[in-house]
Amino acid sequence: MRWFFAGTRGATAVPGLVLIASYAGFGGLAHGVGLPAIATVLSTIFIWALPAQVILVGGIGAGASLPALALAVCLSGVRLLPMVVSLLPLMRGRRPNLMRELICAHFVAVTMWAEAMRQLPGVAPEGRTAYAMGLGCGLVSLSVGGTLFGYFLMGALPPPLAVALLMLTPLSFTILLVRNAQLPMDWLAIAFGAVLAPFVANAPGGLDLFWSGVGGGTLAFLAAEMIRRMKGAQA
Amino acid sequence: MSVVDGEWAAIFIVLVVGFLPNEMWRVLGVLLGRGMDENGALMRWVRAVATALLAAVVARLVLVPSGDLAKLPLALRLGSLALAVAAFLLVRRSVLAGVLAAQALLIGGAWWLGL
Repeated sequence: MRWFFAGTRGATAVPGLVLIASYAGFGGLAHGVGLPAIATVLSTIFIWALPAQVILVGGIGAGASLPALALAVCLSGVRLLPMVVSLLPLMRGRRPNLMRELICAHFVAVTMWAEAMRQLPGVAPEGRTAYAMGLGCGLVSLSVGGTLFGYFLMGALPPPLAVALLMLTPLSFTILLVRNAQLPMDWLAIAFGAVLAPFVANAPGGLDLFWSGVGGGTLAFLAAEMIRRMKGAQA
Repeated sequence: MSVVDGEWAAIFIVLVVGFLPNEMWRVLGVLLGRGMDENGALMRWVRAVATALLAAVVARLVLVPSGDLAKLPLALRLGSLALAVAAFLLVRRSVLAGVLAAQALLIGGAWWLGL
């Protein structure tokens, strides 16, 4: 229990605070689209991935078809797979336990991943599973608070403040993209995805995110592979 | 809103269209994770697709905005993104610095435009 509460305290670091503000922006977005409050909060607890939630709520607002939305959400979630794979060795206790691992894995999202990677190595190995669960629960609780705040209070804020909060999601995503970009492939993927997006915005069936994500990502992957080969040939 | 009629329908959509397709990757990560090479070609492609998709989400929100966000002029939307990245890079890679600088510009700009 000691480790669990140490983890919840770890959730109150700066990235956790940025998360509250981002979820306030999401709450405002969901309120604007007319999604009921309970469904909005459940999306934070169960989906627990802001890009997927923004895709879902934005798509509902734009009247996209549900299968196309499920596909876009599914594609946006692929990035969680390598995060879980790389974080699980740190979160897993000495004795493997599938249920515990699945619960730990549920908390994995962009902020949780970055914070756990930073904080967990400093935690004693026997306390890491409990610490990760505390960190995850803490981040989810803060985000639920932020979601509710945005959902109910966005309308009461002065308009310049409310409209600035709506930009929080794209702003924090952009900074996260820049922060996580290490390889040439990452920068290519950012460029291809962003440039393709307006051109495929009216793709039939609401599949625009599919085309810009899979298309842009595959182009970036192939270009990066070619650069690798050329460098390899020179060496 | 056309798709969501009533609370239960909305909860159903959140769980079936949102939770399940997203959570499946976390479960797969646990099940397949033990023997997977994090830096293999498949993982590199996955990473590229996820990065491009996130960039596309941002581009769609900023370039083809809906709702109140559309009231902000394009130059202000793009300018705030550029300022966020610049402040992040200049102030010791601080996420908070980037977000606060961009928010200050947006609030000031929106107020000056009389929104």
